[in-house]
Amino acid sequence: MFMSILKFIFQMFFLLLIAPLFTGIIRKIKSKIQHKIGASVFQPYYDLIKLLKKDLVVSSTSSWIYNVAPYVYFITSLAAVMCLPVVYQFKGFSFYTDLLVIVYLLVAGRIFMALAGLDTGSTFGGMGSSRELLVSALVEPALFLIIITVGANPEIASTSVFSIYDYAVKNSSSTFSTINILLFAAMLMVMIAESSRIPVDDPSTHLELTMVHEAMTLEYSGRHLAFIEMGTYIKQLVFMTFMANILIPVGLNMENILAGLGIYLLKLIIITFLVGFIEINTVKFRLFSLPNYAVIALIIAVLGFLTRFVLR
Amino acid sequence: MVSEAIFDTINRLLSTHVLESRLINENEVYFCISSSTVKEDCINVYKNIECVLVDLFANDTTPIDNKLTVYYTFAVRSSNTLVTLYSKLENDGSVRIDSIALDVPAASLYEREIHDMYGKDFNGCPDSRELVHHGNFPLNVHPLRKDFKTNKHIPFQQRDLEFATITGKGVFEVPVGPVHAGIIEPGHFRFSVAGEPIINLEAKLYYVHRGLEKLCENQHYMKALLFSERISGDETFTNSLAFCQAIEKLNGITYIPERAAYSRVIFAELERICGHLGDISGLCVDTAYIFPSGQLGMMRRWIQLLNEQLTGSRFLRNTNKPGGLRRDFIRNNEKIILECINKLDKEFKETVSVIKNNGMFIDRVEHTGILENSIAVDLNVVGPAGRASGVKTDVRKEFPYAAYSKLKFNIPEHGNCDVNCRMNVKIEEVMESVNIIKQVLGKMPEEGPVSVDIGNLKPYSYGFGMTESPRGENIHFVMTGENNTIFRYKVRTPSFCNWPALCHAVNTNTLTDFPLINKSFNLSYAGNDL
Repeated sequence: MFMSILKFIFQMFFLLLIAPLFTGIIRKIKSKIQHKIGASVFQPYYDLIKLLKKDLVVSSTSSWIYNVAPYVYFITSLAAVMCLPVVYQFKGFSFYTDLLVIVYLLVAGRIFMALAGLDTGSTFGGMGSSRELLVSALVEPALFLIIITVGANPEIASTSVFSIYDYAVKNSSSTFSTINILLFAAMLMVMIAESSRIPVDDPSTHLELTMVHEAMTLEYSGRHLAFIEMGTYIKQLVFMTFMANILIPVGLNMENILAGLGIYLLKLIIITFLVGFIEINTVKFRLFSLPNYAVIALIIAVLGFLTRFVLR
Repeated sequence: MVSEAIFDTINRLLSTHVLESRLINENEVYFCISSSTVKEDCINVYKNIECVLVDLFANDTTPIDNKLTVYYTFAVRSSNTLVTLYSKLENDGSVRIDSIALDVPAASLYEREIHDMYGKDFNGCPDSRELVHHGNFPLNVHPLRKDFKTNKHIPFQQRDLEFATITGKGVFEVPVGPVHAGIIEPGHFRFSVAGEPIINLEAKLYYVHRGLEKLCENQHYMKALLFSERISGDETFTNSLAFCQAIEKLNGITYIPERAAYSRVIFAELERICGHLGDISGLCVDTAYIFPSGQLGMMRRWIQLLNEQLTGSRFLRNTNKPGGLRRDFIRNNEKIILECINKLDKEFKETVSVIKNNGMFIDRVEHTGILENSIAVDLNVVGPAGRASGVKTDVRKEFPYAAYSKLKFNIPEHGNCDVNCRMNVKIEEVMESVNIIKQVLGKMPEEGPVSVDIGNLKPYSYGFGMTESPRGENIHFVMTGENNTIFRYKVRTPSFCNWPALCHAVNTNTLTDFPLINKSFNLSYAGNDL
């Protein structure tokens, strides 16, 4: 029991450590494409360290929600990623590790962020909150359908993370099944929307009027901002882990935990390159075109869902 | 000559109202009229002659005749003539003058500017709010009057700014700026929105008002030239060129050496390419389309490096002087220019084809920020923004300066009025500029002087200098004082004309599209605020 907790904690720190790396890699890819040298892939780490050292500026009109939200956001994201099987599964949590729990953990964090955006009473905070909730409401149907399709496999018949993971480990031959490819595509779209990336949002924009996620966190500084950034990196990791471990179940169940982490990392980097490639070739959508984007994700998920029953 | 025909026509049209009339500087006609008939006469000219109001300004002529002179300048674009109606008013404020803004919509902003800078009220001006000041200036202090001393301390006051408010269920006001999240110039925008769509936008500018016109007064003209170069960073050359042309014109210099004229064309076009590349790159940044934005930004740097290599300044400062250029910058550099231009031409065409083939990008810019032709005509919208809305005007064609009359080039014309259209105009203009530079390099005489001595300036003479800056029609009025000094320097940049148009173009668009529309106009704050 002690060893399992130790491994579990080791895994948690590992995830915390690698989460910012992928944003750094995406930025590097984007710079290279523009013939620029670009910042180091470790720049997000330096930024976090810098932010942690800085003082806080807190609006005098804000309430306790403003101060609590960054931590809630960070902790819910972290809890969500810990529910997912990465390399080592900790069975002690099995009673609550359901995929739907993960979704609602993320929603809880987001609700707090949206409230905090409204809390300061600044123009952009409220605007950002309303847009962020719109985006999340739009992609939610697709996300749920993906989860249900995964769980609807008669051999799993559950949305429990461990049942799904055990099945994936046992049946690694089904890696590139049509269902998985469709679900992977839909999940990629959901992930881009949820982690505020191009074409849904532009994380590097300086234009306060076009921001979605950034507008909501515009008032934050110092330690608070560091926790929000970290929360966003981890949230991105939740979706990437879901794709890497459940939708591409290759190289799972390694007895050696380090080799398992290596393969896991490799898969994440491949997904990162995919995201980077999409970012280079796409343009930010009009805000009112986002429903179309969400519908495309939903339709791909529906196709996956139908395939589940038709192709059997 | 055509200007003479117009001179006669207006003399006949206004008949007895004309107190004094003059045709000077080849294409400038001046009519002195009484203050009581100003409105009537201006509207008469505006309605009967195909012209547009391009400038309306005042001049405190107290040292000369103890009067305040108000100038109404109309451009007759079809026949290369500037028609100026002016009226001398008593300087004590006893005489009020009628506003023409209801009949000539473009006049409204100028009238507000005169109200702030000279304290002259216009009867019946539809918008009497402050334009230049921000409610912190005492009401009786007017900076451009001759009795205003620049070193005097001005007590700080606080009055609330007025904005048009729109009320209704679900209508909110969104204040943005003056300090923005990016490294851009300051300007306050007050949006009235119903959800995302914009119902009304009001821009409050003049946060970078430096008092440039006032600072030039009583300065030697070579010093004023430095000020003119600093009106707006990315229009340095065209602004200084307009100033130089005004000085040359009022001093009777009709010929500048051919080599200087051709060199001026090269620099003006390099500046245009640089500006347009920056604009198109900005449009890509605003839509998060990073690949072409990087490409276009890189090409812009090529041109800036070329500028530096030629003149020592990336923004072409200290290049112009009245009478020509400061040095023969082009000599022995023809090959470098040609190489750079050819490299740019190839790369630019490739990048443009990438942009135009990206459906997602075109979807973003098409039907966004439509500026209707009627509004563009009423507000005298100039430059690429005007040409994209069907106002086909270009100073290079209509009031040819430097060596433009000897060159062949087209003015792009589009009629879709949206962001895409403005982008296309700029893309085509870059290609035209490349052609112009190639032509110039072929036609330019090998040897020859690059400047003439302009001698001492005639005191109290005046004239207009016009150039086509990357943003559009640029008009500088210069009146000289004694001992080679400047008595009045009035700058009207294209940004001043186009700012109100932006406020119209954003209506019914969503708030998220505002930065994109703003970028498609890419107006200068400093160039507007002066």
